[in-house]
Amino acid sequence: MVATGHRLKTKYPKKHNHYGFRDFFQFDPQVGTITDWMDNRNVLASEDFIIGLVAGLEEEVGDASAAIMYTIGCEWGLKDAACFSQWFEAEFDRSIRQTNLMFLLETWWWPFTSQGWGRWEVDMGDRKQGFMFINLFDSAVARTLGDVGKPVCYIYAGLFAGFFTELVRKRLSCIEIQCYSMGETYCKFLLGGQERIDAAAFWLNEGATAGDIERRLQAGDQP
Amino acid sequence: MLSRLRHLQVETEGRYATDEELKFILDYVHSFRLRRDTYIRLQAAESDIVKEVQERLQAKHPELLRSGTNDLTTKWQRDTQRVLKLTALALLLDDATTLREVFLYWFQTIMKAFKAQTSCDVTYLTMQEVIKKRFTITEASLICPLLELNRTLLGCP
Repeated sequence: MVATGHRLKTKYPKKHNHYGFRDFFQFDPQVGTITDWMDNRNVLASEDFIIGLVAGLEEEVGDASAAIMYTIGCEWGLKDAACFSQWFEAEFDRSIRQTNLMFLLETWWWPFTSQGWGRWEVDMGDRKQGFMFINLFDSAVARTLGDVGKPVCYIYAGLFAGFFTELVRKRLSCIEIQCYSMGETYCKFLLGGQERIDAAAFWLNEGATAGDIERRLQAGDQP
Repeated sequence: MLSRLRHLQVETEGRYATDEELKFILDYVHSFRLRRDTYIRLQAAESDIVKEVQERLQAKHPELLRSGTNDLTTKWQRDTQRVLKLTALALLLDDATTLREVFLYWFQTIMKAFKAQTSCDVTYLTMQEVIKKRFTITEASLICPLLELNRTLLGCP
């Protein structure tokens, strides 16, 4: 099969607002492929696929499925950071390290939004204390699984951990401290060093809410 | 218009469209001459409109065109011209939905990233005043709702 480049991108390589459905994806019915703006091959996955993936993994490995999904996300984030760095530089003619951080992060997430992974909001208010929060709206995993009473977006937590680890070149971890699948209106992730993530996991296990965890971290509490 | 045609295609699957469902096409046809003429006038006046908005901003809100010691004028001009071109296209095609989906939702996050919401709020409010001064009431009634859409989405905190 011969891979063909994204035609609109080939014509307008510097078009930045290319995240609309018809611009971002190129459907090629002749060869049966969907290519995105970054020339990556995409496949459409149904909610049944997500349910099958999560339920199948749980059946195979039990509680370890959460760690596996997190690890998959982490590897994905690490690789995606390298890929992102290349296309960002090609599109904006500058390195990812010479640009406004919030602009960089929005630019990283937009392809995910186009692909249906949900919208996000980054809260960098506590960055100087060594942690930050990410709010995720319309998580593909949580929206599919519905209210199951526990966090389910491990692949996202891994994705954020992997990407930000590569971005800041320092090992970071991530935990989902509030999830649409717990009956909340959106998902909330905490990103930071392992110690803080372990503390948040402990408090979460003790029944703390995302708000409690946020306050304790800001106050410098430890379990 | 294009969004509504796509919607019509979906809604009328397996049946004929009703007169009521086709009314928007007739409305568009009737409004096309005005849309085309306004589009051409906007194209011709683009640089003058941007210049006048810039002068008003410079007079009343000079801080919006600076960030510390950085002069943001060139960047502001580039952004404003881009928004105006896409606004003119949305006017020509009567398609605010596409303007939102292919541009404004993305640009909103970029403006937030650069903390430029106040600048957008003032820019597209001022631009409506400039348009009302330079265009007829009928022409302005086509352009200003789109500029208000820009202001609402790009200027929201």
